[in-house]
Amino acid sequence: MLSTDSAFPSSSCSQLESVRDYAFDELPAAERSPLERHIAVCGDCAAELDRLRLTTAALRTLPDLEVPRRIAFVSDKVFEPSPLWKFWNAGAHWNFASACVLAAALVVSSWHFVSAARPAETRTVVRTAAVSQNQMNQDQINSAVAKAVAQIRREDAQLTKAAIEASEKKHDRDYRNQMVAIEESFMVLQKRLNNSYSRVALSEAASSGAAQ
Amino acid sequence: MIFRAVEDADLISRVRRGDVEAYNHLVSRWEKRVFNYLLRITASTEDALDLSQDAFLKAYQNIRKLDDPARFGPWLFRIAHNEAYSLFRKRRPETAIEDVASARNPAPGFPIDLSLAVTAALDRLNPEQREAVVLKVYEGFKFDEMAEVLGCPVSTVKSRLYTALDLLKTELAPLNAGSVPRGN
Repeated sequence: MLSTDSAFPSSSCSQLESVRDYAFDELPAAERSPLERHIAVCGDCAAELDRLRLTTAALRTLPDLEVPRRIAFVSDKVFEPSPLWKFWNAGAHWNFASACVLAAALVVSSWHFVSAARPAETRTVVRTAAVSQNQMNQDQINSAVAKAVAQIRREDAQLTKAAIEASEKKHDRDYRNQMVAIEESFMVLQKRLNNSYSRVALSEAASSGAAQ
Repeated sequence: MIFRAVEDADLISRVRRGDVEAYNHLVSRWEKRVFNYLLRITASTEDALDLSQDAFLKAYQNIRKLDDPARFGPWLFRIAHNEAYSLFRKRRPETAIEDVASARNPAPGFPIDLSLAVTAALDRLNPEQREAVVLKVYEGFKFDEMAEVLGCPVSTVKSRLYTALDLLKTELAPLNAGSVPRGN
């Protein structure tokens, strides 16, 4: 370890800290010009700045080395997402969300339309009954009303069935996505475990070699 | 650095959407810096490679936790720092942190006396001082970024750096007088 005794006498100037910050371009812009004027007239600070720059230049003569081999894990097959996951992240989830919104809008509007149409049909039946009151008996009116109600119920049943099917499909997709995420997490864990085992094996081999 | 930060932020947002290739770009941009930083504090090519791998893996797994994508650099180096010190702690019974410097080789391609002198001077710093010099002089981090990497206040960072430079000034004084070109 180096001694803390310096070959250079420490400057007594109160601006020394600012000179060091200035040398590393860390001094606020507003303080630079006043300090530069100070350095021009202060021998200690000028010498300190000179020494810092020379030392830094000497240190920077050590070059960066190239990485001997690529950092490869992200491209490893084990880390590659499944095609389903890629498809899902390529924008399919937005398409799915849009489809859900559209389906919901269709269901709501259909229900609203059916609800609004129901009294109209009833009115039609009643009006028809009123017009031909003399020709139609009560049984015929009841039959027409029953027919209209049955038709509405069939439509309601179809809409409900479609909504249930859409919900089941969404549930299936969510389940598949969860399984994909779990599988990827497991692969990451497996990779880390493999790395750990390799290190342990290497260190054991090294220690057994040293023992021999 | 501003363009780099902007492009990093774009790549990070793509990674967060599941684009693995974007993370490969990020690795390509940062691997040399991270590797050299780890090499300078561990003095072992194999350790630096393994730790780089671990650091990039950990960064990939935690990239959603990165609050400010513009601070990806300090965040990544913080992970690399933690990985390195975790390794040092595991090996402490066998290898003291200070001892790693003895395995360091001078840089190839430079005058051997200058390279040896700078390498030897760096090796004689304590690990905290050496890391402060590496982050400032070689990696060009600002003080606030160094504080983020090292997990300590800016005042501590400055203290470590300036103490180290006082020592290095003395060590490298003969070189400064002769073989290093003057200038900023």
